[in-house]
Amino acid sequence: MPATRAFSVRRMVVRASGALLAVERVALMGLMYLLTALILLNVITRYARFPIYWIDESAVYCVVWLTFIGASAMTRLRLDFAVTMLTERLSLQHQKIAKVISTGLVVVFGVALIVTCVLWMDPIGLARAGFDGRKLAAETFNFLYTEHTQTLNWPTWVLYLTLPIFAVSMTVHGLANLLEDLELVPRTPPKGFSLSELDGVN
Amino acid sequence: QAKEFRLGLITPNGHSWNKAAIKFGDELKAATNGRLTLTVFHSGQLGNEPAMMQQLQSGALDMGFIQAAELGSRVPHIAAINAPYIVRSTPAVAKFVRHPAAVKLFEVLPQETGTIGLGWGITGMRAVFSSKDLNSLADIKGMKLRINPTPVYRDFYSSLGAAPTPIPTPQVFDAMANGQVDGLEADLEFSWNQRFDKVSKVILQMNAVFMPMAAVVSGRVWQTLPAADRELITKTIKTTLDAQIDELAGNEPALIENFKNAPIPIRQVPAGDTEAVIAEFDKIWLPKAPVLAELRKVGATL
Amino acid sequence: MITSAAFVAIMLVGVPIGLCLCLAGLVYIAASGNPVLFQSYPLQLFGGVDSYGLIAIPLFILIGEIMNGGGITRRIVDMAMAFVGSLKGGLAYVNILANMFISSILGSATAQVAIMAQIMVPEMEKKGYDKTFAAGLTAYGGMLGPIIPPSVMFVVYSVLAQVSVSDMLIAGIVPGVILTVMFCLVIALMGYVYNYPRADYQTPRQRVMTILRTSPTLLIPIVIVGTILGGLANATEAAAVGAVAAALVGKYWTKEFEFSQLPQMMLRSGIYSAIVLFLVAAAAVFSWVLIFGKVPQETAAWIQTAAKDPVSFMLICNVILLVIGTVIDGIPGLIMTVPILLPVATDVYHIDPRHFGVVVVINLVLGLLSPPVGLCFFVAAAVTGAKPGKMFMVTLPFFVISCVLLVLLSLYPSLSLILVK
Ligand code: NA
Ligand code: NA
Repeated sequence: MPATRAFSVRRMVVRASGALLAVERVALMGLMYLLTALILLNVITRYARFPIYWIDESAVYCVVWLTFIGASAMTRLRLDFAVTMLTERLSLQHQKIAKVISTGLVVVFGVALIVTCVLWMDPIGLARAGFDGRKLAAETFNFLYTEHTQTLNWPTWVLYLTLPIFAVSMTVHGLANLLEDLELVPRTPPKGFSLSELDGVN
Repeated sequence: QAKEFRLGLITPNGHSWNKAAIKFGDELKAATNGRLTLTVFHSGQLGNEPAMMQQLQSGALDMGFIQAAELGSRVPHIAAINAPYIVRSTPAVAKFVRHPAAVKLFEVLPQETGTIGLGWGITGMRAVFSSKDLNSLADIKGMKLRINPTPVYRDFYSSLGAAPTPIPTPQVFDAMANGQVDGLEADLEFSWNQRFDKVSKVILQMNAVFMPMAAVVSGRVWQTLPAADRELITKTIKTTLDAQIDELAGNEPALIENFKNAPIPIRQVPAGDTEAVIAEFDKIWLPKAPVLAELRKVGATL
Repeated sequence: MITSAAFVAIMLVGVPIGLCLCLAGLVYIAASGNPVLFQSYPLQLFGGVDSYGLIAIPLFILIGEIMNGGGITRRIVDMAMAFVGSLKGGLAYVNILANMFISSILGSATAQVAIMAQIMVPEMEKKGYDKTFAAGLTAYGGMLGPIIPPSVMFVVYSVLAQVSVSDMLIAGIVPGVILTVMFCLVIALMGYVYNYPRADYQTPRQRVMTILRTSPTLLIPIVIVGTILGGLANATEAAAVGAVAAALVGKYWTKEFEFSQLPQMMLRSGIYSAIVLFLVAAAAVFSWVLIFGKVPQETAAWIQTAAKDPVSFMLICNVILLVIGTVIDGIPGLIMTVPILLPVATDVYHIDPRHFGVVVVINLVLGLLSPPVGLCFFVAAAVTGAKPGKMFMVTLPFFVISCVLLVLLSLYPSLSLILVK
């Protein structure tokens, strides 16, 4: 039955988005705790004359992950700022159309970011090279999988993973928002976020 | 055919590397009657060094002046040039980076980084600026010292008993002023511009390490250039870097004179008592970069 | 051109501003015939927030959350009111003066607005001020952060311009004080026009009692300043120490804070920070494509043909920097413009680089308070729920007076150079 199937696809998108949001919620809390702890540890260890070399770098990457995970969550929470000068003067019908277009562009961006990430991280090339980063580098001049961070000495691609994750979750959230804007599914209030002051920013 | 190159580097306008980059562009233009031109992107405008490396590898950026620290974090073989006491004065640095042994380090670049190395440019020997009295290497023990966070420097200053502390460049002046760190290490040119002497009690010239820069070209772009252009670029960059190296080494006495006129003393590390430090350092780094042995041999002859 | 057109078009449809910047970057790359740039695009987005200076933002937002949750901010405001007394618009002055003091600790406008908006706006609203005005005023208070030393922007400028950090910091003092005084004058004028609320009358005895009763809250600023001056930490780290101090004061002295509230506070700080930081990342991508397309270089070349003397050069620079500042955050803005404009300023027009730095920084910070992007407004909006667009209209007098200061600075360089030996 096509109608049921279409409905179940819609439900799947909304559910996936809800699951992602739940994970993002926990990740955001965790990263904030981690960031605070790292910075305090830095003060204490430096004062004790045993400065830990990799803390600054970890704190910076913590904030980078916080940025993109939070940016994904705020898409679903509809917290990001938009210019409403023009749209608020439109009729209700036109406002809805503008809303669909702008949410559609969120999806477009998510997909475009997935494409640029694939171009950059070249997972197909990597698989062809037998998941050997050095071989991929020799074949394609893509040295991504051979690099390490300066003080943590982690492979950089692990840290860069936040971008493809962001691209995918942004697309899913964007689709869920789009389904809501098209009135194909009812609006679901987010769980576990008490952001009352902010409701209706966008 | 006509081509417009883009060259990126991390140092600000007015730094001797930037002047060299602009001069390189002017000479390239003059030599080809404007067929080949160059736009210089200063101060990391196209991104930090890792981002520039990525653009060099993809071919978006044509050329870069990339510090040895960045290349060394990718290739230990290159990091060997940052090792302490290969040479012991800025004039010796000037000779060393033009020695075939130093130029030969570039051979690994295409395979390891996707770039072609055309020559080294330099900054002077680095000094330690300290807020407590310093007379010798032994006095560095126990200091909280802000360093350039490249692994080679960390191992070197750790072996001196310092606690190497990475602090981002814009915060260094404040960190010194309010006592978060007891000292910092930097080259004299940068230190004079930032007036680190105003937040220090003493300057100790270590004559141990220096931070050179490699002029690199994107491997992808290099493949597309006709042989005659490659030759012209190689020749032009060599003469420009030669001039940069000579000028920097030539300016050092005046720079030291500036610091001597500052109200704090500037001292030298006694040439002895470095053997143990070298031995300890080489124990870690010789296995990672066997070329270090050869570099030391060459350095000793200069 | 296509980039700007794409940016304006999608912005007007109501696409979130961070995404407008990101999408405009993609459009530019597609139009540039240089598709290899797509491969660098994600890394540039990453690089935009890969910076130590930005760590301060989540931490200062967290302090604000904890101070509010612990009832500490309310007590600080009570104390300030006891000092200012029953002046018309008393809390508005408190806001600006508190901003002046906080700005001598913080170097970042966005961090300052994040913390001050959380503290001041709910209190001003309770005392009868319009929320939009309160949030907008706080955003303007944030301007003082990067102008009164210490200031991350001045330090970055001094590295870019190769001038002494201490000279730069001193150069900011007089313009910062002038701006504070001018803001107070505007408040006085607006106070009569809009009839701002007066504080309740208090007897001198009541005032002393209020001050004594609330003084332990001062522990938090003392801890923050103390850890910085004592060499224990930099401003970013002091924020983490301050958050601990705020939690302890809130738990054991005001007894309004519970550790069980902490996870929600962490979550809110994380989300508000991400709203700001994603804009920073997006602005970095946008400025990267502009630089790659040599837009700033061509603009600088045009200025040289248009400006005949230093004053007209400075005035043109003011306009251009203000426009750049509206879409690009402070530090990326400096990296984008200083390497290109400074050599023209010093070599062609013989302008003192320190003076030029003061003007550039004030312009870019004022850009943070201008539509359409106006990061500071968005931060104030994010933590208070006020509307950014309306905020701009309400605070137009502050915008005008800031522009007046910029014109004064362009005409009289001695204003910034007087204290620099
Ligand atoms: Na400040
Ligand atoms: Na802005």
